[in-house]
Amino acid sequence: MSMGEADAALVRAIATGADDAAAAEAELCRRFAPRIRLYGLRHLRDEDRAADLVQAVLLALLEAARAGRIADPERVDRFTLGTSRNVALRMRKTDGRSAGDAALAAIAAPDQPLERIDTEALLRCVRTLEHRARRVLMLSFNDERTADEIAALLAITAVNVRVLRHRSIAALRRCLDAPREVDA
Amino acid sequence: MNCETPIAWATLVDYWAGDLDDAETDAVDEHLFGCGACTAASARVAGVTLALRSAVPTVVLRSALERMRAGGARVRENGFTPGDRREVEFTADADLLIHRLGGLDLKGVERIDLQITSESTGALVADIEAVPFDSAEGAVFIACQRHYAALPNDTVMSLSIHTAGAPPRTATYTILHKFL
Repeated sequence: MSMGEADAALVRAIATGADDAAAAEAELCRRFAPRIRLYGLRHLRDEDRAADLVQAVLLALLEAARAGRIADPERVDRFTLGTSRNVALRMRKTDGRSAGDAALAAIAAPDQPLERIDTEALLRCVRTLEHRARRVLMLSFNDERTADEIAALLAITAVNVRVLRHRSIAALRRCLDAPREVDA
Repeated sequence: MNCETPIAWATLVDYWAGDLDDAETDAVDEHLFGCGACTAASARVAGVTLALRSAVPTVVLRSALERMRAGGARVRENGFTPGDRREVEFTADADLLIHRLGGLDLKGVERIDLQITSESTGALVADIEAVPFDSAEGAVFIACQRHYAALPNDTVMSLSIHTAGAPPRTATYTILHKFL
């Protein structure tokens, strides 16, 4: 069964109110919560607001599924993305936080939230990068400069900035994932 | 979880750097919502980029400092003038120790480079080109953080100050850290 088919089966089980509807609701939330959270982190740039977004979107998703309002259950992913876009837009306009829902809050704040990277480990890995790569990362993620702006500052091309950046992030990822050598 | 057309790592990095246009960003969002494998890859990029964003840079501007204070960070500030050699204590009641490397005339200055070395060994601790600086305050702000305790504590901070049409000037501050 494809992912779309599996999602659709959950949506249909919720709509029919079958015996396993509650379990289907929990599974649908479990599947979509990480994607909504990442969307929130990317577009709202704030962990609390991303958690609020997860709650609000899951609530809307479940209400729509219960009422049979999801026209194409195979594409519930599109429904969820569209809802995420609308709610995030509203949150940006109002700068407000949702009242929340206790059950959904538990899903929005799962036992294993997005990976927490230790700052000391991160800086240890950053120090292994060459000077220009460190500058590109700092300008990208601390100063929020675009590749074009960084290119102008460092007198290199925007393509070079992008290549340096994605190679540096890959290098940091490898460094952070590697088991740390224990000093003898 | 498999994906027949996975999003390239480079695209995911651009996505998290905010360097894709609206149409490209929408396309990535649409793919991620329908793809568990690429969501997992995106989370791995996000872990690093979010950590980089939340890490406080070594050199900050007064405006960033005030934002951190407004956000509840307990910031303690120590002022230094060129040639100073002094001990500072990073006490448990502070989240951040700011070294205000002041006493500088920064009118017309184009660039300041910072080099930090260990006083006792001469080992290079940091070498940062074109650090941000506050011309009006005549100062560079070093954001000393608790995890710096792992680095050499006897630091010599040298600023190389570049002004158009003049040789670079150097200002040096020796700061001996005591982490409590």
